[in-house]
Amino acid sequence: MQRHPSSFRDPSGYVFMDQGKLYRKILPSYFETYDQLNDQGIYQSLFDKAWLIPHEEISRDDQSIIICPQKIELITYPYEWSFTQYKHAAQLTLRIQSFLLKRNCSLKDASAFNISFYQGKAIHLDTLSIEPYQQDQPWKALLQFNQHFLGPLLLAQRQGSHALKSLLYRIEGVPLKEVKSHLGLLSRFHPVLYPHVHLLAKTEVGTLQQHAQVQDKATLNKDSQLKMLKALDLYIGDMEMKENTEWSQYYDHTNYDEDSFQEKKDLIASWCQELQPKTIMDVGGNDGTFGRQLLNQLEHLVVADIDQPAIDQCYKKSIQTGKVTSLVCDLSQPSPGLGFENQERDALIKRWEEFAPDAVLALALIHHLSLGNNLPFEMTAAFFARFSPYLIIEFPHREDSWVQFLLDSKRDARHLFDGYHVSAFAKAYQQYFKLIKSTPIKGTHRTLFLFQRHEG
Amino acid sequence: MNELLYIDPGIGAMLAQAGIAAAAGVAIFYKTVLHTVKSWLGIQPKKDKADFDDVYDTEKDN
Repeated sequence: MQRHPSSFRDPSGYVFMDQGKLYRKILPSYFETYDQLNDQGIYQSLFDKAWLIPHEEISRDDQSIIICPQKIELITYPYEWSFTQYKHAAQLTLRIQSFLLKRNCSLKDASAFNISFYQGKAIHLDTLSIEPYQQDQPWKALLQFNQHFLGPLLLAQRQGSHALKSLLYRIEGVPLKEVKSHLGLLSRFHPVLYPHVHLLAKTEVGTLQQHAQVQDKATLNKDSQLKMLKALDLYIGDMEMKENTEWSQYYDHTNYDEDSFQEKKDLIASWCQELQPKTIMDVGGNDGTFGRQLLNQLEHLVVADIDQPAIDQCYKKSIQTGKVTSLVCDLSQPSPGLGFENQERDALIKRWEEFAPDAVLALALIHHLSLGNNLPFEMTAAFFARFSPYLIIEFPHREDSWVQFLLDSKRDARHLFDGYHVSAFAKAYQQYFKLIKSTPIKGTHRTLFLFQRHEG
Repeated sequence: MNELLYIDPGIGAMLAQAGIAAAAGVAIFYKTVLHTVKSWLGIQPKKDKADFDDVYDTEKDN
């Protein structure tokens, strides 16, 4: 039994791994609250709404209660979410707090890391985040909520989607002082932005004096807190981000005509019919068009792409299927391990290895990695071989217009990329995989390959 | 110096919440008025197909 390196912040209990399975140990200080939440049916109601990860009680003695939460297909962190995913995670946190407040409970923290996506939707992961509500006590997690959710959303609206990755380098949240400096003058007169950013920015460092005051002066009745949560929820619900995308209109102007596009879809569908994968990871999957056509035969699909608006579309289009995890990721720099000893938040590559999909799709991607990022074929082959026994990969030949464009952009160094050729590609990939089949896609200068990993 | 000693960054935010909640009343009132005026003028709110209330279970929320 080993305590999970991410689980050290809450004295009420911790998460541990045992024989590859995740459990949560609840310590005696939380027993009373845990029993109360069970007796009042609060846990069950939250499970029914799919707002809190369901768990099963495994054992109980004087020292601890052990629960086993349901397994999340693939954990994603806030810095891998699209704008709408981020908004929904924020709204879910606010809705849970309102729900609890009406039942005389409260969330004791509002970390964005408490949320992930399960069966396609945002879900709260921390069973021990709930505590009894103290009469007229303000919400102690409000500042953290604004630093983890509202701050990155506001920055993304003003600076672009890279700001959604703020928690990557600010694991404790974005200081509101920093957010404030990016808001315009008018925000000082805004009934949500002024209090939640400007006013709270002044309170970010607590003082001894405040500590003494807080006991008797910090009061807020329940109705007022509900009103505050509602105003924040309405504001976040209305937030929009206008960002042009590299790829979200990709399928409208690719070098595919309609027939070729359909042939590519059919080829992938027929190969997957033979392979019968239950889980697929579509890397560089844009809005998930090719993966989503396979959902009938899949238990779960992961779609990853560098382009935030494309992943946002993917999330919106697939949310109701309950089978898709969408995430924003740059393959040339996937999220690293973070936090204490770099172990608090796992690196994306480690999570992908644990997810271990039955097949990986890498469509219209290799030319970007090889010519855009200068990655040799051997390195990308080794990379794909880490995750899955099967790889369906599309190779655009030198005659392809995208490849031409990428080669032209090399100018004088163009000759250094003479090795970008299908024979070199196939040779490099066969160091790690066995070639099962390859088929040219009619009407294009592209070939689809099916590889099987060498095992042992 | 002691006065600026770091205690708990959430404390100041708790003290400020009475003011924040008062402003929330204004925000909700403003939003309601705006919605009413727009509906008088026949302006339909732009409906995002991934609106939280459309895709998450909020039925038993209240």
